[in-house]
Amino acid sequence: MPLPISAKKALLEWKLYLFIVPSLFAVGLFSYFPAASAIYHSFFRWSGGDVKEFIGFDNFTAILQDHVFWNSFITIGILVVANVFKMIPSIFLAVLIHRLTSDRWQYWYRVLVVLPMIVPGLVTLFIWKFFFDPNFGVLNNVLDATGIKTLLVSIDGLFNWGIFQAGIPIAWLGEPSLIVPSLIIWGFPWIGAVGVLIFLAGLQSIGTEVYEAADLDGVTPFQKFLHIELPLIMTQVRLMFVLMIIGTLQGYGLQFLLLGEEGGPGGKGMVPGLWMFNRAFLAGEFGYACALGLFLFVFILILTMINNKYVRVDK
Amino acid sequence: MSGTKMTKSVGGRQGRDWPKHILIILILAVELLPFYMMLQISVKNNAGFLASPWLPSNPLAWIWQNYVEAVQLVLPYVANTVVVAVTATVGSLILALLGAYFFARYKMPFSGFLWAAFLLLMLLPGVANIVPLFALLKNLNLLNTLYALIILGIAGGQVFCIFVLRNFIEEIPKDLFEAAEMDGASHLAQLRNVVIPLSGPILGTLAILLFLGSWNDFLMPLIILRDPQLFTIGVGLIYLDGEYVKQWGKIMAAFFIASLPLIVIFLFTMKLFVRGLSSGALKG
Repeated sequence: MPLPISAKKALLEWKLYLFIVPSLFAVGLFSYFPAASAIYHSFFRWSGGDVKEFIGFDNFTAILQDHVFWNSFITIGILVVANVFKMIPSIFLAVLIHRLTSDRWQYWYRVLVVLPMIVPGLVTLFIWKFFFDPNFGVLNNVLDATGIKTLLVSIDGLFNWGIFQAGIPIAWLGEPSLIVPSLIIWGFPWIGAVGVLIFLAGLQSIGTEVYEAADLDGVTPFQKFLHIELPLIMTQVRLMFVLMIIGTLQGYGLQFLLLGEEGGPGGKGMVPGLWMFNRAFLAGEFGYACALGLFLFVFILILTMINNKYVRVDK
Repeated sequence: MSGTKMTKSVGGRQGRDWPKHILIILILAVELLPFYMMLQISVKNNAGFLASPWLPSNPLAWIWQNYVEAVQLVLPYVANTVVVAVTATVGSLILALLGAYFFARYKMPFSGFLWAAFLLLMLLPGVANIVPLFALLKNLNLLNTLYALIILGIAGGQVFCIFVLRNFIEEIPKDLFEAAEMDGASHLAQLRNVVIPLSGPILGTLAILLFLGSWNDFLMPLIILRDPQLFTIGVGLIYLDGEYVKQWGKIMAAFFIASLPLIVIFLFTMKLFVRGLSSGALKG
């Protein structure tokens, strides 16, 4: 803990305040001021310049009737749910690595898990975009070779979707009803490097004797996971869960890179953040974009508060 | 869970690890597939790729021309990004060290209030800020400059770094500070001679995280930069993706060059990456 200090001594140590000034200035100008400016400008019709017109709550009433925005919330809801399931492979891999007896192998597998981080996220996304390419793409190649394509075509025949047809390459990012599935599939097998490392750090507190005792009792590997490993990494799982939800809700880089500013064909990949970006920098409706951002902010804030109340992340 | 059936065959903690090894290697192989594809396609042309999409081509037939062209395209972007990422990382750490020292050393009047002001920013999602930030940079005449990216990088890194560093500095035994004070060391000297020598690993971890963040950023650069000669790697690749859709070999070579600085850093700091990330990320 920092030492308590008397007012008199604090006066002598006034120079210490100079230490916090640069950070405070940076944060004040580039974090607090824009936040305040967003609140202020959400009441204006404003296109980013000096001219603005006060319109009261018009921007907010416009949000209520904005179908694109509400549909984007449904899309992001689906993606959040999908991302919950996409946490499973990371947990699974962490448990597998942890159960290895050899520390050397554990270390080298960790290195391999971290390896994807050295390729910029943007590049990984672009490579996936290439995988999705209907003609050159690797994904269609794999589906053809493994016979999954044939399966998809026959399922399609059953339900008459008309999406998967024999002999026609699947247009992953071109067919409106495949946009959301593509946004979920990308990154398969969904190993998050930071997640795996954090889970492994949590698992490290389990001693060998716990496993030995479990073995004597004839506990199955899955029971071991449920009763020994999962409870111990619950803190880490919750932490990743919270970070994932906040990240997914405000993220739009993925959709922007794979689908473009309009959210792909039919706008099926439109998410709230992208719609805000779109309104500001394509339509020039900065005031409205501020209102959208504010709405999103309050939404995330409420979720965070609910989360702090019911899902405690103990440090 | 899909894999539970498979783990059933796995026995105790000792021995019989090979099914786990096979599973882990399978998962990691699929995970690393994009990078394998990037590397092997980067030395093929489109015809070569279509003829054999999966296997690497004969090393004698590798098309190095892809790299020659990719370097010309991407190198200026890489240079810009290195300038931005290095300056922003160093700047962030210097400011954060000063700030963390302020919070950790004494409980000064107002420091509780200031601390709350920093913590509040952790709750503030950046998403609402991007539009007014653009207008602010425009008013400051910083649009279309690399300075804007550096300043935003420094400001954006403050909360997290101060949070981590404050905890770290508080753990340093008070005797060390008092001894330095006896010798007449100023606060700045104490920071330099006591804090910095002890905080190598944590500074390294934070530096890696900041550098990665800067390197991966593309939304702010996309809004801020207009001149192609100022493009950072993020914006550069977005434009490249639009222009050279057909030449996959060249694009993959450009992707590889875009990753090169991170690969070099990784080779030198592998331990910091692997150990530091797991402990450092938890503290945040």
